[in-house]
Parts: sequence; C-alpha cells; structure tokens
Amino acid sequence: MKKLLYIALNELLLLRKDRMAAVWMIVLPLGMTFIGGLVFGAFGGGSEAAVIDLPVVDQDRGQMAAAVLEVLSQTENLNLETAYDEETARGLVTDGKRAGAVVIPSGFSSAMASGQPTALQLIVAPSGQTAPLLEGMVRGVTSAFSNVQTTVEVAIREVQRATGSADLDYEGIAGRAVATALERLHDPAVSARITTVGSEEEEFDVSAQIVPGYAVMFAMFSVLSAAGGILEEKERGTFKRLLISPVRQWSLLGGKLLAQFLVGVGQIALMFLFGALVFGMDVGHSPLGLLLITLATCWATTSLGILLVAVIRSRKQIHPITTLIILGSSALGGAWFPLFLMPRVVQQVGRVTLVAWAMEGYNRLMILGGNLADVWVNIGVLILYGAICFAVGLKLFRFKEA
Amino acid sequence: MALVKVENLYKTYDRVRAVDGVSFEIQPGEILGLLGPNGAGKSTIINVLCTYAQPTAGEVSVAGHSVTAEPDAVKRVVGVVPQDIALYPDLNAVENLRFFGRLYDVPKARLEGHIGELLALVGLTEHASRRVEHYSGGMKRRLNLAVGLLGEPRFLMLDEPTVGVDPQSRNAIFENIQALNRQGLTILYTTHYMEEAELLCGRVAIMDEGRIIALDTPQHLIRTLGTGLIHVGVRDVDEEMLARLQALPQVKAVTHHNNTLAFETVDAQRALLDIVGLFNETDTAMTSLEILEPNLESVFIQLTGKQLRD
Repeated sequence: MKKLLYIALNELLLLRKDRMAAVWMIVLPLGMTFIGGLVFGAFGGGSEAAVIDLPVVDQDRGQMAAAVLEVLSQTENLNLETAYDEETARGLVTDGKRAGAVVIPSGFSSAMASGQPTALQLIVAPSGQTAPLLEGMVRGVTSAFSNVQTTVEVAIREVQRATGSADLDYEGIAGRAVATALERLHDPAVSARITTVGSEEEEFDVSAQIVPGYAVMFAMFSVLSAAGGILEEKERGTFKRLLISPVRQWSLLGGKLLAQFLVGVGQIALMFLFGALVFGMDVGHSPLGLLLITLATCWATTSLGILLVAVIRSRKQIHPITTLIILGSSALGGAWFPLFLMPRVVQQVGRVTLVAWAMEGYNRLMILGGNLADVWVNIGVLILYGAICFAVGLKLFRFKEA
Repeated sequence: MALVKVENLYKTYDRVRAVDGVSFEIQPGEILGLLGPNGAGKSTIINVLCTYAQPTAGEVSVAGHSVTAEPDAVKRVVGVVPQDIALYPDLNAVENLRFFGRLYDVPKARLEGHIGELLALVGLTEHASRRVEHYSGGMKRRLNLAVGLLGEPRFLMLDEPTVGVDPQSRNAIFENIQALNRQGLTILYTTHYMEEAELLCGRVAIMDEGRIIALDTPQHLIRTLGTGLIHVGVRDVDEEMLARLQALPQVKAVTHHNNTLAFETVDAQRALLDIVGLFNETDTAMTSLEILEPNLESVFIQLTGKQLRD
C-alpha cells in the first residue's frame, strides 16, 4: 500500500513539473469556462434578448395606423423609431444600421374600414439575421388587423340584414367595431393559458450548466491524458523498470490510477470554485450529492482511461481517439447544452456516455434543486460504468509486452 | 557455489526462438560478458534473470532463488541497468533516485545518504538538482547505472550500458563497473563491443542466434580460436588462384565474397608476405588490404562467419 502511495505521489510530482500540463489542466479549462460564461450570459442579465430598433414610417396617420403603432410598441424587445421618412428608413436598412423597417402606407386606415385590400410594408436586408424575427412580428400584426377588418365587414353586413335598411351610419358602426376589435387584440376572449412547471421565482442559472459541463469535459481530458502517460512510460522504459523493482503489479497500476483519480477530482473542484467565485454559481442544496457525483464521475473516467490504455497500445493513436471520445460524449452527454433541452433521440443516444449520467446528476442538483435522493441512480450507474471499464481494462491490460 | 545458474534456458516470442538452450553459471564476484550482435538473445537472458520475462523452458536461479517460483526474492538481490534510459526526464537526479529508492525499500534514514553516495560514484553530485532532460547522453547513462545500484544488489546486470555514450562517460562507466566489481559485486555485462568485453570481463560468452557458441576467458578464446584475419579486395579471381592461396602454409582458410578474399591465418604477418608474393607472381591486382589482429571480433567472425556489428 505504501508503494502504491509512492507511485501516486510521483505521478503528481511529475504533473507538477510538467509546465504544459498546468496550462492544459488549469489555464485552458478556466479560460474556456470564462469565455463560455461570457457568451451564454452566466454573469447575469445576459440571458435577456437584445432590443431591436425598428423604424416605423406612418404615412397614413389614421386610426388604424395608430392602432398598428400601439400593437408594435407593446411587442417585447422592439424599440419603435417613428421619426424617419421612408427614404431614410430604407437607407438605414441598406447600410446595415437597422435590421428592418415598417412602412404604413397612406390610405391604410380607410382601406381597413371599407374592407379593401391593403398591406403593411416590411423592408429587410436580405442577409439580416433578425429579418425572420421581424417578419414574424409583422405577420402577427397583419394577421390581427386582417381579423379586425373581417369583424367590421361581418358586423356591417349583419346590421344591414337585420334592419333591412340601407340608411345606416356606416362610419359610426365601423368605428365602434374597430374599437371593440382592437380592445380584443389586447384582451382576447379566447387565449392560451401556459402553465410553467417548477418554481416560478428560480431562473435558469447558465453557469450551473456551463461550469459542470466544462469541468467534466476537461477532467476527462486530464485523466485520459494521464492514462496515456502509461503508454509513454512503456515506450520510455520506466514502466519496465518499475515492473522489475520489488513492487506488486496492483500497486503499480493502483498508484497511477489513484493519481489520475485525484487529478480529476481536483480539477472539477477547482472549476466549481471558479464558477462560484466568478459567476456566483448556485451549487444547489446538496453538497454531499455533488461530492458523490463528482467522485463517481472521476472513478468512471479513470476506469475508462485504463480500458483505453489496455485497448490502444500506441501513444500516437491514443490522443486522437480520446479526443474523439471526449468531444463526442461531451456533445451527446449534455456537457455543452442541458440534456433536457436536446431532442429525445439525442438524449437516448447520450445515455451510453458517462458524461450524460454525470451531467444529469449535476443538472438535477444544481439547476432543478434536487438532493442526494434524486441522483442515486446517476451515482450508481457511474460506479457500475467504472467497474465494468476497470474489470475489462484490467483483463486486457498488458503489463509486459511479451 | 554459483550466484547465478542458467540451465537449458529457452525463450520463445511469437514463435520466434530468442534464446535457444542456453546454460551458464556466474560465480560470486565475477564479471561475465555476453558478447553478440543485436538480436543474439542477450537482452532476453537479462529479462528472464530479472523476472521481467518468463522462461519458456529451463531452470534459472539467482542467489538460490528461482526466477519463476520466487520472483520477489530475486528482485531483492538483482539490479538492472537497462539499455533504455529508464528515467523521468522532468525530474532531477535526486528525485529520480529518491522515487526508485523508496520502491526498493531503502530505509528512510539511509536513503538520502545512499543517494549522495551513488551520485558521487557516478560523478553527478554537481548536477544533482538539474532536470534529467537537460543531461547529456553520457550523464543519463551514468544516472541509469546509479538507479540500478539503489537496491544495493548482489548481482548487477548491465544491458549495453555504453550505447551512444561519449568516450569520457564511457571510461567513467568502465571505472564504476571495475570499482563495484572490486567491492565484490557480481556482474553480467552485455555488449556488442568486443573491446569492452575484453577489458571488463573475466569470462565472455559469445552468442549468436539465441545460442552460446563459446564461453571462456577472453585470452583463452583468442588463443585457441583467434586467428589473424586478412581481407584483400580483388576485381576478379579464378578457382586456380583460390586453390593456390588456400595452399599457402600460413593460411588456414580463404573465402571469396563480394570481391573480397577473407584469409584466416596462423600468423597474419607471415601470411601477408606469402599472399602479396603470390599476387605479384600472378600479376593479380589488389584493390584493398586490411589486417585484423587476433581478438574477440576475429573469434566471432571465425565462429559465425558474421561481423559483430551486422
């Protein structure tokens, strides 16, 4: 046992002496997490959508045009600019200074009142990324006003049919019908009721996804890279020297695996500390759950490492293969995006990766506010995953080359 | 009583017989050399003796412990200096020695002092705190030797310890080995440099294709098997000329290969006069001439028909 610890300590000493390892294991993961946090708004407020400035040129100045302006102004994330004429608005879009502009043509209100066809004009740049968004908004408005026009038309016909009189106050009826229809636009008689499940006051903490995701991914890089170090030792001859020294084989391998395991745990702990200090990341309510899911993740990763070293016997092969496995399992396993936001098929496929079980555990603890009881299955699966990899890896591992 | 006994050792890797029925003993305090070209089976014998490889057949013991039945006991009495520089380049000399020393159960109180002694022995005291990656090839070889001595072995095996080493470091290694041997250390030394075998070894086993083809003191091997060799380059030579050369009194044998005549002689100096005389008499041109004095190289050539560095 003492020699196992000596070997583990030597591995850690070698790691400390390797300057590039410090970059790979500390600087790069923290840097990437910081950038990820910036991009996805982990610093708070970043999840709010950007406000779009939208020039609206009112050439009509009528009641319906005013209603259109009112509806648009109540649309979230739109800032209406009504001071421009059509030429200026078109120029702003052409120059890329605005994503789009709306023109309410002259005669819009009278056409609406008399049931004549009319149109709102939307000017967009052909490659504007927000053009589809604006198009959707304007279509929504035109659809609503089309309904208003239909309502007015139907109302007048019905009054004519009921009274049989042609001597009616068309303008008055149309005006009241429009007013009622516009009220309904804001307060519809039939509406969709959307029920949000879960705690209303808790917002999605982006850092609670990014930090554990990147931590698991980079811990896998570190652990699998350290496992590749066994192949390097075999090529250099130090592994043979260890084998011919008075050290049991299980001590030799155990010491190396212990060091890899500790490296993984240390790296995840460091990333969590970084997340908490820099992003104010919420780590949930179950420190024990976090600890156990982290230990189980590192055990599974370490065991996967020994399996890979047993199967892949050349250092040239191990780096591309481990990179492929890590990036693939990180993408499928929810290290980059929450699993529950992914298509069902991807979620099912991702289940074959240890990352999926780890990330589901972290998501439950840190995003959904779960406790230890909610992640027992994840911990159990990770331990089993590690045990299978370890057993198969040990079976296939060749201490001696011949 | 022999410290090392190897009886009818066979070792096969993937149907290739690396060691083919080898037997020898090493007496306490002796330096035995294994001399042979690459692939002769020298390193395989070391691998078996240090328990790294299992014999396919045969009995091998060190200090009375079987390498197959008591590998742990064998590991405690042997030291190995492998052909590879088996060191951690990111660590310095002391850190390398400290790590391996712990694995060899050197007592904590003794370890630092022992490291200092070994560094002094191999002349690296002044470079003790430098990373090994910055060492020259010779310095790495010397540290490689020091690591092999950490467990204070009774039997030290050195596998081609001077490959790629500058002359100064090579001499230092020779001096180290001779000093250790004077202190009573039993040594097995493999090399394909016949000068090293002649200089260091009390006895030499000449190996080829997994077999020991001669085993004796270097002096006796040279005296009984060594012949002066003369190599003469020719453009062409006919059968009649070959027969006349073979018939010269100082020539034991002559072979013709690749425009070179190789003469094994009783006395190279006298044979040379006869050979040159016959070439003059028959007006046959020589394109080159080389005289090899009797040594282990010529013994090896005579025994195998090959050169050591083939």
